[in-house]
Amino acid sequence: MRSVVDNDYLTLVSRLLIGGIFLYASLYKIIDPGTFARSIWFYHVVPGELINLVALILPWLELLCGLAVILGIFYRGAVVWANLMTIAFMVVLLSTIARGLDIDCGCFRAATSATEPAWNAFWFDVGMLVFTVQMLFSRSRRWQLQRGR
Amino acid sequence: MAVKQVILLLLTAIVVGLAVNLVSHNRIDFIGGYRDLSGGDGPIIPPDAESGDPPFIDVNLAQFEYSSGTSLFIDATLPEEYECGTIPGSINIPFEQLPDDLEVYFDSVLHGVPKDYPLIVFCTGEECDLSLHLARNLRGFGYTTVSIFFGGAREWERFGLEIERKKPCGQ
Repeated sequence: MRSVVDNDYLTLVSRLLIGGIFLYASLYKIIDPGTFARSIWFYHVVPGELINLVALILPWLELLCGLAVILGIFYRGAVVWANLMTIAFMVVLLSTIARGLDIDCGCFRAATSATEPAWNAFWFDVGMLVFTVQMLFSRSRRWQLQRGR
Repeated sequence: MAVKQVILLLLTAIVVGLAVNLVSHNRIDFIGGYRDLSGGDGPIIPPDAESGDPPFIDVNLAQFEYSSGTSLFIDATLPEEYECGTIPGSINIPFEQLPDDLEVYFDSVLHGVPKDYPLIVFCTGEECDLSLHLARNLRGFGYTTVSIFFGGAREWERFGLEIERKKPCGQ
């Protein structure tokens, strides 16, 4: 099991996949923060006063983590953030399902009411979590620009 | 080491995110003025609504769109009612006084408004269906992002939101 988790090629695939997803997810949010603020609002989990701040900061955190994971710079910190954000997205999606809110996730485009079930986004995040956890426990450091811990 | 990097990444995201917003042409306020109007009971949908109608939105979403400043509010009532009380910043397109050549009229009154710009149509309250008819017409003439706030100015005021009165009127 340990050798699978530490496999250089598997770790590289995880880095490219998760980094690519975070990079892609950040783009529309950075370009159009107003639309992303609306997506956040649909969830009703962030206080109104803080919605815009989250809409301005979260996409850049996604972008930085995506770049860091792919390039291998600030790697450990970026992997921790990738795990935290994925878990947070899952918790938020579960809360919308529990509250009966039928909304799109807003992960890659603006969330709207009643388009596709939040369950789809949730299972997507579960799949992502497999790779983020693998990166967290992998000791592979090959193909990283910044060596060391 | 990891904790240091976690903090550094967060601080970088905060600084860059806020700095980029200062120079972005899609700039938004750092602190939004959105309120959670708990007690809002979902959108009011009139019985004559049809499945292909523009979406109906509730007061919560209406005030969110108002606070974010990215939608144009259109009051479909007569000018006399519009002047008695409306959502601040809205424009008046009285459905009952529409001329025959609607396309020219919409182009003139909505001059410079892109066809995909979010429009929120409302009238005085739920007894008034002018917003529904105006919204259908707007969509028919190519305005793609039309919503109906059927609760109208009355529901807006009921939730303590500001009403603009251009002249004093009897209640």
